[in-house]
Amino acid sequence: MRELAALQARFGAALDAPLSEADALEIFLGAPDQVKSRFSIYRGNTIANAAKAIGAAYPVVERIVGVEFFAGLAKAYRSRVPAIDGDLNEYGAFFAAFLADFPPATHVPYLADVARLEWLVHRARYAADPAPFDRARLAAVSPEHQLRLRPRLHPACHLLHSDHPIARIWEVHQDTFRGEFEVDFSRGPAHALVFRPRFRVEVAQITDAEAAFLASSLEGGTLETALAAAQARDASFDLGRLLIEWVGSSVIVDFKLDGE
Amino acid sequence: MSLPGTPEGNPAVRGVGIGLRARHYREFLESHPRTGWLEVHSENYFGDGGYDLHVLEHVRSRYPISLHGVALSLGSADGVREGHLAKLKRLVDRIEPALVSEHLCWATLGPRHFNDLLPLPYTREALDEVVSHVTRVQDTLRRRILIENVSSYLQFRASELSEFAFLAELAKRSGCGILLDVNNVFVNSVNHGFDPEQALLEIPGEAIGEIHLAGHAAAGELLIDDHGSRVAPQVWRLYEKACRRFGAVPTLIEWDTSIPPLDVLLDEAAMAARLSQAARA
Repeated sequence: MRELAALQARFGAALDAPLSEADALEIFLGAPDQVKSRFSIYRGNTIANAAKAIGAAYPVVERIVGVEFFAGLAKAYRSRVPAIDGDLNEYGAFFAAFLADFPPATHVPYLADVARLEWLVHRARYAADPAPFDRARLAAVSPEHQLRLRPRLHPACHLLHSDHPIARIWEVHQDTFRGEFEVDFSRGPAHALVFRPRFRVEVAQITDAEAAFLASSLEGGTLETALAAAQARDASFDLGRLLIEWVGSSVIVDFKLDGE
Repeated sequence: MSLPGTPEGNPAVRGVGIGLRARHYREFLESHPRTGWLEVHSENYFGDGGYDLHVLEHVRSRYPISLHGVALSLGSADGVREGHLAKLKRLVDRIEPALVSEHLCWATLGPRHFNDLLPLPYTREALDEVVSHVTRVQDTLRRRILIENVSSYLQFRASELSEFAFLAELAKRSGCGILLDVNNVFVNSVNHGFDPEQALLEIPGEAIGEIHLAGHAAAGELLIDDHGSRVAPQVWRLYEKACRRFGAVPTLIEWDTSIPPLDVLLDEAAMAARLSQAARA
C-alpha cells in the first residue's frame, strides 16, 4: 500500500474512533497525549461542520425540539450517515428517515414529516432559475389546442402529503410569522406545496384537487388529464382562477405544446 | 465598461478585498460598498440556481471575483472527484472569476468527505500526487489556480520537506500560484515551533498571487484558525514583512465565524491597505 493512502486511511479511521496510542506515536510528531488532544480538534471540526449543515437545512425541526435536543439528533445522524459530499448543502437527505426510526425523536409524531418538507424547501433554494414566462407564446395557441398543453412546473416545486398539517406547522415556525401560534391538528391529512416565486421559498397547504392537478402536471400530463384528475376530487375545481394564481407565483413557469 | 483582466470582463483583483458572506448580501446589492474585490467559497454556489448565485452574478458585474474552494481535496491519495470538479468547472464557466484557489490539504477517503482541511504529510510521494491532481484541475478549468497553505495542529513523522518547501515545489512543478495565508503561517509557527519569518524566505515571491489575512483564537498552547476575530497584531507585523518581501500582492480579509458588521471588515481591509502601502514606500 502506498504510504499516503495508508496514512490517510489511519487518519480517517481515527476521526471516527479515538486515536490509538500506537497511531499517535507512529504517525505524528510529539508526545502521544498532546497528539491525541490536538487530533481531537479535527474530529470536533468534522462533526461540527456536519451538524452545522443539518442545522441550516432543518431550522423548523430545531425550533420544535429545541437547540440542545437537536444538537444530539444531528450528532446521532452524523454517526449513522456520514457526509460523502464536499458540498455540505447536499448533506442531510436522509434526516427525515432517520427521525422516523430514531426512538428519542418519535415522541413528536409529525417531526419526520416536517423534516421531509424542510428537505424539499432546502433543495428548492438551490433549484435552477426558469426563463421568464412567455405569455406571447401561450397567447398564440389556438383555443382548441389549449387543453393539450402540458404545464411545466418550476424546478423548485414539490408536493408532499402528510397525515399532519405540516405546511401550517412550517409556517408558524418561520421568523417572519406574525399571526397566532396555532395549529389545528384535527383536520386530518393534508397536502403541502413547496414553491419559489423568485428567490424566497414558500410553502402552502393545498387541496386534494389542487394536488392532483399539480401531480399530474409534474408527471408531464396535459391540461386535460390534470383537469380530469382534479375534477375527480372536486367537481367545482376552478382551473381559470388557479392557472392565473400559479403562473403569478411561478408554480407554473411554462407550457409545452403538443409534440414538444 | 471594459476592464483589463480575464477576457470576459471580470477584472483582475488588485489591492485589498473581503470575503463575501450571506450576512452582507443585502448591503452589496443595495449600496455597493467600496472594496477592491470579493472572494466567496466556491461550494456555496454549487447549486443549479437560486438566491446565492443570483447575488454572485450581480456582484460580479461590479467587483473582481475570486472563487475560493474548500472541499476539492487535492491531497487525497484517492485523487480529485470527477463530480466535484465538474461542479467547480460549471461555476467557473458561469462566473468567469478573476481568481480560482484551493487548499493544500485533503478531506476525502473512499466514499467519505470529512468537510475539513486535513493536513498532509509533506513527502515526495504526496508531492507527486498533489502535482498530478493540481495539473488535472488546471487542465480541466483551463486556467492557473492558486494553492493555499493551511493551518494545522499536527505534523507527520513521515514528512521529508517543510510545508513551504513543499508548496514551492508544487508551484514549480504544476505551474500553480500560491495563495499565502499569513495568519496560517503564524498559527503554524506557534503550533509547531518555527520562525515564521524564516518560513517566508522559503516561498518563491513570483508565485504568490494572493495573500489571506484572518483572525485566530488561542486554546491553551495552541492557536486555532477560526476566522472569527480581527487580525492579530503579530499577524499584521508578519504581513508587513511579507509586503516588503513580495511587493504589492492582492490581499483578502477573511471572516467566517461570528461574522461582524460589514464596517469591521472594511476597517480591517483599510488597515491592510495602509500597511501594504507603507511597507512598499
